[in-house]
This record gives sequence, C-alpha cells and structure tokens, in this order.
Amino acid sequence: MKDIARQQMSMKVESMDMLNTQIQMEGKASASYLAMASWCDQRGYIGSADFLYAQAAEEREHMMKIFKFVNDCGGNALSPNIENINHDFSSLEEIFETALSQEIEVTKSINRIVAAAKNNNDFGVENFLQWFVTEQLEEEKTMRDILDLFEIMGRDGIALKFIDERIKAE
Amino acid sequence: MELIYSSQYYTFFQSDKERCFYIDMGQKVVRLSFCQLLALRQSVWTINIENHFEGDANPHGLEILSLCNKEHLFVLNTLEVLDLKELLIGSLFILDIAAQTPTLSVKS
Repeated sequence: MKDIARQQMSMKVESMDMLNTQIQMEGKASASYLAMASWCDQRGYIGSADFLYAQAAEEREHMMKIFKFVNDCGGNALSPNIENINHDFSSLEEIFETALSQEIEVTKSINRIVAAAKNNNDFGVENFLQWFVTEQLEEEKTMRDILDLFEIMGRDGIALKFIDERIKAE
Repeated sequence: MELIYSSQYYTFFQSDKERCFYIDMGQKVVRLSFCQLLALRQSVWTINIENHFEGDANPHGLEILSLCNKEHLFVLNTLEVLDLKELLIGSLFILDIAAQTPTLSVKS
C-alpha cells in the first residue's frame, strides 16, 4: 500500500492542528497590539503608538510565516477568526504589562508545539519553530525593558512623556 | 481499493492507483483527495456535538455536512456524526499521520 497521506503532507495532523491554533494566536496578538496602538495614539503617546503599530505588523508577519509553512507542507492552513479584542486600558504601563503577558502566552504556546513535535518525531516542524523560540525571547525582553522604564522614571506627569519618547519602533 | 478502517456506519478506503481516498457513507461512496479529506476532518471537528444534547441549541440533533467543495451534501444525526468522528480518528491513525489524541482546538 502506498503512503499517499505522507506523500501529500510532510507533517503530522496534530502538528497541523497546533500550528493552526498558533496562527489564531498570532492573529489575535496582532489585533490586540492594534487596539493598544489606537489607545496610545488617541492619548498622544506617539512613540508608543508607533511601536505598537510595528508590533501589530510583526505579529501578522509571524502569523503569515506559520500560515505559509502549513500550506507548504501540504496541510490545511485556516484563516483565523478574531474576536473579543480588549480596547480598554487604564494606563500606559498597563498596556505594556498586557503586552508582556501576551508575549509570555505566545512563548508558552510555541514551546508546547515544539515539545509535541519532538514527541511525535515531527522534526521539520520542530526545526521550523526554532526561529520562533529565539524570536520570543527577544519579544519578551523588549517588553520587560519598557516596563523597567516605569520603575526608573516614574508613572506620572512628565515621566510618562519621557518614557514615551524612549519607546521607538525599530 | 484497500480498506483502511471501518466504523459502525462508514468505511474508509485508499486507492493507490488514483492516489485518493474513498468513504462509503452508506447512501453513496464519496471520492476525496487528501486536501478534501483534511477539509472534511475540519468540518466534522468544528461540529458542536454538545448542542445536540441541549434542548434549544439543536433540538433535532441534525447536522448538514457539505463535502468536496459542495459536491456532496449529507444530513447526519448525532450518532452518525459521532461515528464519522471515530472513522476519521481511526483512519488517520492507521495512515500514521495523526497522533494518538486528536487536538484540534481552532475554536475561537
């Protein structure tokens, strides 16, 4: 008997499912950064808004990278259905705390897929995700560095203006 | 055509010659390419079976399933949906592309 399924798809179905969940997560992260950017833009935090617009674009790029990979492997990539995006924040600091929590969740999710791929001997998927493992370390560090600014410079008045000026889109 | 897996109502076959799959659905035999098989799996997995057991959500316990880019249309009851899920789990497991536990969780 020919292995037709393997001839058509070079990853396990479980990996495909998990990557589709990750596509959903990256899509939601992108939309969430967009909501944060809007909040900052409306309140005159221009540096932060630019940074968050760039983050939204970057998350979408990540989503597309996974999307393309799933299809290139012969899988069935699913366009994400995104809803329930939070637009309410109480402060600039809360924005970046939320961003850090979001990045930590993405990291955990990537790690889960890598672990499952390893377990299923799905080495192509594991290899593909190594880039994301490194990328997530960088993303978390960026958010932590921004939150450190609040500790150093304070949380009100002119301090927020100085912090905003130091947050720049790369 | 080679038999891959059988459930109570359905039977899954593979055709090496045509490089495709067949499912005997009872009323008729459906030919599926690999990507159509993945699409069928996606459709079956997104069926909310819990609604079948809640009075108002799906009182008749029926699902309309469209296959192969709307080429076929099936109306399935609760038992048939559950059986189709079992067929797909078993078949993909035997084809050695599925892990032991299906983990489709793309619901938003």
